[in-house]
Amino acid sequence: MCDDCGCASPSHNHKVVDVNQSLLAANDALAEKNREHIEELGAVAINLISSPGSGKTTLLEKTIERLGKELRIGVIEGDIETERDAERIRAKGVPVVQLTTGGACHLDAALVHKGIHALEHQLADKKLDLLFIENVGNLVCPATFYLGEHQRVVMISVPEGPDKPAKYPKAFIGSHVFIISKTDLLPYFDFSPEMAIKDALLLNPKLTVMSFSATAGDGFDSWLTYLRSLCK
Amino acid sequence: MHEISLVQGLLKQLGELAGQHQSTAISKVRVEIGPLSGIVIDSFQFGFDVLAAEQELTSKALLEIVSPPIQYKCCYCGHVCLNQPGVPDSCPQCDHHLLVPEGGDGLILLQVEMV
Repeated sequence: MCDDCGCASPSHNHKVVDVNQSLLAANDALAEKNREHIEELGAVAINLISSPGSGKTTLLEKTIERLGKELRIGVIEGDIETERDAERIRAKGVPVVQLTTGGACHLDAALVHKGIHALEHQLADKKLDLLFIENVGNLVCPATFYLGEHQRVVMISVPEGPDKPAKYPKAFIGSHVFIISKTDLLPYFDFSPEMAIKDALLLNPKLTVMSFSATAGDGFDSWLTYLRSLCK
Repeated sequence: MHEISLVQGLLKQLGELAGQHQSTAISKVRVEIGPLSGIVIDSFQFGFDVLAAEQELTSKALLEIVSPPIQYKCCYCGHVCLNQPGVPDSCPQCDHHLLVPEGGDGLILLQVEMV
C-alpha cells in the first residue's frame, strides 16, 4: 500500500503539478462564451450592480421609456426570489427574462448563459442593441463574478450615504461607471457627492461618474448619452 | 455562501488535470484562499471533505489551504503596508485614511499532487 495516499499500488510516482489557475476559471470561461453570444446578437451588455433598493429597476424603466424607440433593449433580471422586477420591465414592452437564484446572492456566468438563451427566443430577428443585466441587489458578491458584460455599472443612492466606495472597494475597482442615484433626495440627507466621488476615483481613476434622479429627470441625459455612445 | 459551488468547480478542474496527466488519484491539493475573497475557509474545507469523498479520483486527497496576509496600499502616497493583521487606521507615511487592499482576494488552485 502506498504510504502517501493509501492506494493499493505498492509503488508509483507521485507527480507534483504547479497549476496557478483561478478557482473562478470555469465561470470566467463561460463568461467569455456569454460575451461572444451577446456580440453575435449585435449587443453591448451592461452588468448593473448595487445594494437592494438603490433604484436599478427604476433606472431601467426610465431608460426604456426614453430610449426604447431608438434602441433595441433586452433585460435579464436577477433576484433571489420573485418575478416582480421582470414584470415591471415587461410592462414597458421589451424582452425580459427573470433569473431567480433561489438563494445565491449574485448572478454567475452559468445562470446568465441560460438567461441569454431564454431571451434570444423572444427576439424575432435575434438582434439587440443593449442588453441590461440587473444583478441581485448586493454590493459585495457580484463584484467577484464576471458575467460576460462589456460594461459594469455600480450604483449607490443618496440615502445610503457617501461612504460606500470606501467600504466596498471591490465593487468600485471592477466597474466602468459609477452612478449616484436619487439626487432629488439630496436636500433631506447628509450626503456629500464630492466625498463619494473622490473616494471612488482614488480606487479607480478610470471610472465615469454620473449623478441623477431617474424619477425627477435631473442629470438623466448624461446616462442616455453614455448609452447611445456604446451603441455607435 | 459560495464555498460549495467553488468546491464543485475545483473538483472539475482536478478531473481535467487528472485526464491531462493520465492520473488515477489526486493525493494533495494546495489552494490559496485570500482573506478578502469572501470565502470562509472552514466552509470551503467542509465542502471539500464532503464532495471529494464522493469520487474515487479525489477520495484520498488532502486539501491544504494557504491564506497569505493582505498588503494595504495608500491611495494618496502609494505607500504599501506589509503583513497587516487588519486594515490600518491610517497610512504610516502620510496619515491619510484611504488604504486599499493589494491582492488578498485570490482564489487560486496552486498545486496538485497526483498519482
